[in-house]
Amino acid sequence: MYNKTILIKDTNINAEDRTKNYYSLVLNSLREFNLHNEVQVVRAADIGVYNHGVVIKILPDVIYQEVKETDIPRIVEATVKADKVLDDLVLKKEPKQQRIVLRNCGKIDPESLEEYLAAGGYQALKKVIFEMNPEKVLEEMKKSGLRGRGGAGYPTWMKWKFTRAVPADQKFVICNADEGDPGAYMDRSVLEGDPHSVLEGLMISAYTIGASKGYFYIRAEYPLAVERVKIALAQAYDAGLLGKNILGSEFSFDIDIRLGAGAFVCGEETALIASIEGKRGTPRPRPPYPSVKGLWNKPTAINNVETLANISPIIVRGGDWFASIGTATSKGTKVFAVTGKVKNSGLVEVPMGITIREIVFDICGGTISGKALKAIQTGGPSGGVIPAEFLDTPVDYENLQKLGSIMGSGGMIVMDEDDCLVDIAKFYLGFCVEESCGKCAPCRIGGYQMLQILNRITEGKGKLEDLAQLKRISFAMQKASLCGLGQTAANPVISTTRYFDYEYKEHILEKKCRSGKCSHLANYTIIQERCKKCGMCQKNCPAGAIPGSREEGYLIKQEKCVKCGQCFEVCKFKAIKKE
Amino acid sequence: MKKITREDLDKIAAKPVSPAVNYIRVGMSTCGIAAGADEVLATLIEEAKKRNIRIDIKKCGCVGMCFAEPLVEVAVEGLPPVIYGKVNKEIAAKIMEKHVAGKILVNEYIFDLKVKE
Ligand SMILES: Cc1cc2nc3c(=O)[nH]c(=O)nc-3n(C[C@H](O)[C@H](O)[C@H](O)COP(=O)(O)O)c2cc1C
Ligand code: SF4
Ligand code: SF4
Repeated sequence: MYNKTILIKDTNINAEDRTKNYYSLVLNSLREFNLHNEVQVVRAADIGVYNHGVVIKILPDVIYQEVKETDIPRIVEATVKADKVLDDLVLKKEPKQQRIVLRNCGKIDPESLEEYLAAGGYQALKKVIFEMNPEKVLEEMKKSGLRGRGGAGYPTWMKWKFTRAVPADQKFVICNADEGDPGAYMDRSVLEGDPHSVLEGLMISAYTIGASKGYFYIRAEYPLAVERVKIALAQAYDAGLLGKNILGSEFSFDIDIRLGAGAFVCGEETALIASIEGKRGTPRPRPPYPSVKGLWNKPTAINNVETLANISPIIVRGGDWFASIGTATSKGTKVFAVTGKVKNSGLVEVPMGITIREIVFDICGGTISGKALKAIQTGGPSGGVIPAEFLDTPVDYENLQKLGSIMGSGGMIVMDEDDCLVDIAKFYLGFCVEESCGKCAPCRIGGYQMLQILNRITEGKGKLEDLAQLKRISFAMQKASLCGLGQTAANPVISTTRYFDYEYKEHILEKKCRSGKCSHLANYTIIQERCKKCGMCQKNCPAGAIPGSREEGYLIKQEKCVKCGQCFEVCKFKAIKKE
Repeated sequence: MKKITREDLDKIAAKPVSPAVNYIRVGMSTCGIAAGADEVLATLIEEAKKRNIRIDIKKCGCVGMCFAEPLVEVAVEGLPPVIYGKVNKEIAAKIMEKHVAGKILVNEYIFDLKVKE
């Protein structure tokens, strides 16, 4: 049996893959040192390092980068044989990810209470009930500096403190699992991978503010998350962790699940409360805040899934420990769902203060196309874009806001040269227009007007005055909308005009979309050498702009073409050129 | 289930669970299932039965490497625990045959993830 393992991977993506070659060389070298029966060599699919040449990892933790063929014998002789590390090759790589929220995700069976308990589950609950009191919990939470992960970043301890301070015969806690941002699925993953951790956080929040009843508000589009929360609740009741006299103490607490019908605005706290009360899910003006008048007019603390998943570790390891991670104003970690034109899309959990570059390039491997990164988008429809020149900005609430975006709930979309920023702004604005509840005019009418303008611009019918008009409407929406949806809906437009003004102007003045995304601004021609004369383009052209026949071939009449891009989409032989 | 008491929790806290060896975990969250984790899990169970291998095959949530789903973590005695990604039925069978039974890691499917706890 082998007693050592070596992983190999060529991490340069844009060149020929040398993994197999190096694999044979290492095998040969091992044979020369007569180690081939003790050491196994494995070609990895992904070695967790990118663009560092051939990487050789001797498990458990020696990583060599930019390995040359001539280095192999000395690696085998020094490190494999004698456990000596070669300083000139070693890649000193502290893991960039740090897991607090996702501590159990992928490690325990989410449907097993025993596994959660074995991983340290419900120790925090025990601690708050028997060794702390609500004041002590608040103190610890204050020390931790935890801020809400649902978007606004409000200090959790303050929210709890206010809710606790209001005298009432009944109080409520709510877990907001409505997660509606397009591209974001952090909360879903936590609920699916470690539901008890969120449950425990909600129980501790209830204990602290003095609530006797809690709700999970989960969007109905998340059936597996709902299922796993249901199982967790049943297990907790069975084990005496929920219900009357929890763990034999005075503390009693019940939890129910409510399903959201999938309207984005129902994630807003006052709309969410209305929805649980069985009313139409529309926002109402604040104040009064839910901490004073929430569900059924009782003091209510609403927290996001990720916020709640942070609670138990803070209680167990202490607020000071948590506050030692992150930046001056933003403590702990943040989970991001990194998607778009990125090599390794998925969830990453990183300490606050990490740079965007580290997230996108060191953890996620850069762009999938290998093309230059143009910008990233954070904060979903309430956020904005951050162009490539700010990649080295440390991520925290304040820094992202300064750049005109927001932390938001954790969506991060990577865009490369093939993405059009006007198109991106149009996408997010379109989402908000679709999701606006219509209760107030600035959002309902302003959003629609802005979308009309963006449509015109992407169709090559924009005017320069449109840019000023976009600004005016944005301002009105920010100032006069009733809820966060309308107040922030213009953000993607504001931030793209701030950084990519020249692209808007290109669309307007030159009728040109440099990324080729805006189909109305492209010119379509048939590349005759590639054309197989199938006639698909002609069949699909709504303008009758493609005369010709299967015998003679086809041609696009530019003066008739309405630039819908249909022919480009349907041609199986990539014989339509779009430029 | 019997009620958990404060003392039970004390006991668990006092005795840290030793890291288990001999298990397989399949990522069964939405991202995993969408990529075919159901089938992978079924294949692993079937292959284990066929070869008379006794190993704990369990499900787990998503570790975050959604691009490489379905993910399968394998920990057997004598080998470092590894995560395989983009696993399909064939690779699942190979994992059982080579890795679990033969104690040799499978080429081209290991995704090495390192995080700080
Ligand atoms: C339009 C809109 C949608 C929202 N959607 C969500 C959501 O899906 N999940 C969430 O946790 N918070 C959402 N929020 C924020 C909530 O109103 C609230 O601030 C949050 O749940 C508080 O929890 P936290 O302090 O733990 O972040 C949304 C806000 C607005 C304005
Ligand atoms: S801002 Fe938009 S979503 Fe919010 S209340 Fe007004 S119309 Fe409804
Ligand atoms: S772009 Fe549309 S209108 Fe123009 S030739 Fe192609 S299918 Fe016809």
